[in-house]
Amino acid sequence: MSVETAPMQVLSSRAIARQRRVRSTKRFVEAFAQHKSGVLGVVMLLVFVVLGLLAPVLFPAEMIEPINTVNNPRMASPSAEFWLGTDELGRSVLALLVWAIRPSLIVGISASIIAMILGTLLGISSGHFRNWFGALCERLTDWFLVIPFLPLVIVLAAVFGQQGDWILIVVLGITAWPGTARLVRAQTLSVEGRPYIERAKVLGNSDWKQMSRHVLPNVMPLVIANTTLTVAIVILSQTTLAFIGLTDPNSVNWGSMLDNASASGAPLRGAWWYLLPPGICVILVVLAFTLIGRALEVVLNPRLGSE
Amino acid sequence: MARTRRSLRRWGAAGLATVIAAVIPVTVAASNAQAIEQDGKYILKVGVLQPVDNLNPFKGITAAAYEAWALMYDTLTGYGKDFSAEPRLAESWEESEDGLTWTYNLVEGVNFSDGEPLTADDVVYTFNRIIEGESNEQTNYGSYVKNMESVKAIDDATVEFTLTEPTPIMTKLAVPILPEHIWSELDADELRDYTNSPDSDPPGGVGSGPFVLDEAVKGQYWTFTANPDYWGGAPKIDGVEYRVYRDANGMVTALNNGEIDFADDIDANLFSTLEGKDNIATNAAEYYGWSYITFNGGAQLTDGTPIGTGHPSLEDPIVREAINWAVDKQALINTNLEGYGSQGSSFMPPIYADQHYEPEDPIGYDVELANQMLDDAGYAKGPDGIRTMPDGSNPLDFELFSRQESKTSQTTIELLQGWLKEIGIESSAETVSEGRLYAIAGEGTFDMYEWGWVTEPDPDYQASTFTCDQFSYETKGGQIYGGLNDSFYCDPEYDELYAQQAVETDPAARTEIVKELQQMVYEANAYIIPYYYDYLQAWRTDRFTGFEHQPEPDGAVLFQYGTFSYLNVEPVTDASGGDSDSSSNTALIVGGVAAAAVLAGVVVFLISRGRRSGEADME
Amino acid sequence: MSEPAEAIAADVGSDPALERRVRDTRRAGGLGRFILRRSLTGLGTLLFVLAFNFVLFQLLPGDPAARYRGVRDISAEAIAKLREELNAPLWDQFINYIKDPLSLDALSTFSGESVWSTIFGSLWPTVVLLGTATLVATIVGVWIGIKAGWNRGSKFDKASTGVTLLLYATPEFWLGLLLIMLFSTGVGPFPALFPSGTIKDAGIDALSIEGVINIAYHTVLPATALALVYLADYSLIMRASIVDELGQDYLTTARAKGLMDYQIRRRHAVPNASLPTITLIFLSFGFIIGGAITVETVFSYPGLGLLSVEAIGTQDLPLLQALFLFTSAAVILFNIIADVTIALVDPRIRV
Repeated sequence: MSVETAPMQVLSSRAIARQRRVRSTKRFVEAFAQHKSGVLGVVMLLVFVVLGLLAPVLFPAEMIEPINTVNNPRMASPSAEFWLGTDELGRSVLALLVWAIRPSLIVGISASIIAMILGTLLGISSGHFRNWFGALCERLTDWFLVIPFLPLVIVLAAVFGQQGDWILIVVLGITAWPGTARLVRAQTLSVEGRPYIERAKVLGNSDWKQMSRHVLPNVMPLVIANTTLTVAIVILSQTTLAFIGLTDPNSVNWGSMLDNASASGAPLRGAWWYLLPPGICVILVVLAFTLIGRALEVVLNPRLGSE
Repeated sequence: MARTRRSLRRWGAAGLATVIAAVIPVTVAASNAQAIEQDGKYILKVGVLQPVDNLNPFKGITAAAYEAWALMYDTLTGYGKDFSAEPRLAESWEESEDGLTWTYNLVEGVNFSDGEPLTADDVVYTFNRIIEGESNEQTNYGSYVKNMESVKAIDDATVEFTLTEPTPIMTKLAVPILPEHIWSELDADELRDYTNSPDSDPPGGVGSGPFVLDEAVKGQYWTFTANPDYWGGAPKIDGVEYRVYRDANGMVTALNNGEIDFADDIDANLFSTLEGKDNIATNAAEYYGWSYITFNGGAQLTDGTPIGTGHPSLEDPIVREAINWAVDKQALINTNLEGYGSQGSSFMPPIYADQHYEPEDPIGYDVELANQMLDDAGYAKGPDGIRTMPDGSNPLDFELFSRQESKTSQTTIELLQGWLKEIGIESSAETVSEGRLYAIAGEGTFDMYEWGWVTEPDPDYQASTFTCDQFSYETKGGQIYGGLNDSFYCDPEYDELYAQQAVETDPAARTEIVKELQQMVYEANAYIIPYYYDYLQAWRTDRFTGFEHQPEPDGAVLFQYGTFSYLNVEPVTDASGGDSDSSSNTALIVGGVAAAAVLAGVVVFLISRGRRSGEADME
Repeated sequence: MSEPAEAIAADVGSDPALERRVRDTRRAGGLGRFILRRSLTGLGTLLFVLAFNFVLFQLLPGDPAARYRGVRDISAEAIAKLREELNAPLWDQFINYIKDPLSLDALSTFSGESVWSTIFGSLWPTVVLLGTATLVATIVGVWIGIKAGWNRGSKFDKASTGVTLLLYATPEFWLGLLLIMLFSTGVGPFPALFPSGTIKDAGIDALSIEGVINIAYHTVLPATALALVYLADYSLIMRASIVDELGQDYLTTARAKGLMDYQIRRRHAVPNASLPTITLIFLSFGFIIGGAITVETVFSYPGLGLLSVEAIGTQDLPLLQALFLFTSAAVILFNIIADVTIALVDPRIRV
């Protein structure tokens, strides 16, 4: 920390806090910018977000309505009119690709937020409370960690899945929380070992105040990093589920594109324009979140700074 | 040190390259030498997309099952290449003057695969079992014995049937003749659970047919060996194998690679990749199969109790006709069939030329007309553009189902959703397995779904699916099972005509009635039949030759009503073809071991190199 | 010199639970007792999974007995009895479930056969596939990880990290589809080299030499699709472990003592870094399963993954339930093995 020779000002504690936050935010951004991989991730993500938002503008919804496209050349290779060719129903693969961005990002991010909230709640509780409640949370986390992720998601999705993306978000959210919880618990334990927390306890701060005022802000950065990585996993899972046919068949996403491609004989017909792009999009988006997450981890956790 | 390391790397790379170079020709050779011959035998390997669901002739239902039974068993009569009646086990028959007594003379000297002779007693037993049986025995064969009063053996080679009414089915008795000495050991419950496979008790697969069941691995493959003593002449091949593929991709790839010799029921879009290929013959056969979209026209039990969740608007024939006008059937032919099919109409397909009813004013594709019809009938559009019942309630929002096993089914329903929207009908679609759909259909918890039928040459079975007593029924345990009627179409006049054709022995008169039945169903729009599809098959010409079409010249060559190809096909004897398989196997083994050894060596190289290179790779 | 247990904890992503367990061992003393305690914990987890299983399937909507409708071989009486059982009050059902938690004679609603015999019938193909893929992935991934971690910042490191990150983000089934298109169909630049479906040809005895080669031949493509993604995971783990290990004091000491780099690597760094890696490899078993499911589907490989997908299609809930139980039990088992392996392999712990 630099020694600042600022003019002596009497600032309110809140103003001081705000100043501190602004400064640390700036520091954070600078540190983050040092990681080229992280920046690359952000750029990639932005490209996808922008394209996803512009989908209805670039490719009007009627373009991907099957009854309108049935008479186009089907599973045709790329041409001037269809830059990435067409699928088995005559729809432009490029249009489908761009429209698929939304469900993937929305489901990925929403589910991860749910996982983050659940995981943080349970993690802090299990780390903070030394009584039966904390032990219960800890046991719960350990147990759910053991349950294999994809089979559980599959069972839930098998029963609820085809009814729309919201169910999918809930299902993915409530299966992804254990990883976050474990991390948060470890952090909570570590934070609570610090002296000023002891002081806060002695001063009689309630459990709630301790958790929200002291533990939470310290835990959040790592949680955010972890959540970013969770998005990557959730998107991969969603793609897998769509491929197996457990998501809403009316929603276009990359996994269902691959499922349709496979079922329509794309490998056999050498329709690389139909098989390659959805997979590449998944890779790029997942990679973007992974890169961002890894960079965040490094920036926010000084112990890993040796990298 | 550095020099040694670099040359190590070079050797490592060379080693890897050698391995790859060695492995490729070995595996390619292995796949091609994947013998026409297997242990010196010629086996016809047929790829199928659906399994033999049950080898028990009373319980199975898939086309593959029927094909397996055709290999294992004989019937009294059969169909010729032109679908006319032909003798089989019954080499001749006589009909009495009043048409109520039929006498069949059996071929003599026929034996079952376990050596026991086939006599009239077995025929009598088989038919009596069905006549006296209940749902277990009657599901598949009940329609044949409807009018039979009794069956008895006059002597070892003569069987006499006594009927209650004359019936045209007596020349089309497609009932497999089962060995009494095996099946009489099973009571009704045991029969239900009997899998008729090699490890069953009593032993399964005992039949008189041209092939004998050899191995059955449920869900994967079934093998049959030729019966050299077959009374109809020994087959010229040594065996047949049916192999199940989860999807057409895998099956077609297997055909290309030579893993199978024949690919059955290929998807249209994959079929086009096979045309013109070397060593592959393709056949697009006009077929007796068709796809249909059914409506829930008012689901009920046979006793009249309404069941299910069908939308009331579908009970109105005008609504059904309007929907029919909104379906672009040509688009379906283009997308699903790539043109391999023809526009659909009535339930006897045009391949049965004398039976088929061709409507004078077929229902085409006219969205405007459909909208007009619905407007005129009072199904006005609400503010959100969705129509409601004439009294303003119950917006038209349908539940549609497609079949997981069929991509074309899913495409049809997906397009249907769009077309329904254009005439102001909202819908939601679900893809389910055929097993589930069967249950859903029985319970009536649907509005529309897509499935298909394959129609026999004799119209009785197909016509029966529109009768009132083929509705769903409830068992004592409170279970609701579906009958054959999945449109819940019911018209007493239809039932009367149906009963008439069942006893009309004059073919011309009978055809008239059958056409009238088709017309009634067509005009009521019980089903939408968008197309009759061609049956697409392909086989390798460098393996077997002698496939026979039914009908000539370009009908289906397997999965026919008969076993023409199986009895006639023989291996292509080619001088340059595969050597004796023992040497190819040895090559495979040697190659495999060598490749493994070299690969192991390379891995060892890499690991040891990794350790040592630390010195030079200092930071 | 840092506490070895903490060193491990640092690598294993700050897992205090593991740390605690390891410390507990040394306090309790003895490997045998460790295994016992660990197995008991595992059993406890299994019990939880059983209870969870029960609750999960109770929550599912619909008439349970109705699911058996598709099976034509089950008598109406059997269905009526099932319906009675399944609609009994919740508590009674729970008691029944406890009495027979594995539902050893549960029947599949699709085939009517015992679910457990179905599962064990489909087990060996999955074992073959996963075993091969994991083996190859471990060998290659670990090697890459070591090399990249040791030469941190080098061209190899940058290149391999980039590649492994890409592979890590790749859906396995997509790789499978590409491999089929490239090497199986013959439509691309390569001839059709490998089969694209099933595990072996009919009529070949699986246990003969010919059978083994045939199976291997059919396993090449699916195992490759899986191995490529797994090795990315392992490589990243191994690299992180090595990088972390490199910062340890004792290594500086060793170098100061004059040991050559490769000696340091072979004798100290790699073995120490291997422990958490082995652990994590076992722990990522849950991650492996997911890939197997889709790859088996793409290649029609008749293992547990394909069985799961079919069970979903036919809504065969007893089978799904049993599969879920089975995979959970397998994961628990692997977790136990992982912890025991650490205890075994690390001499510092055992004493």
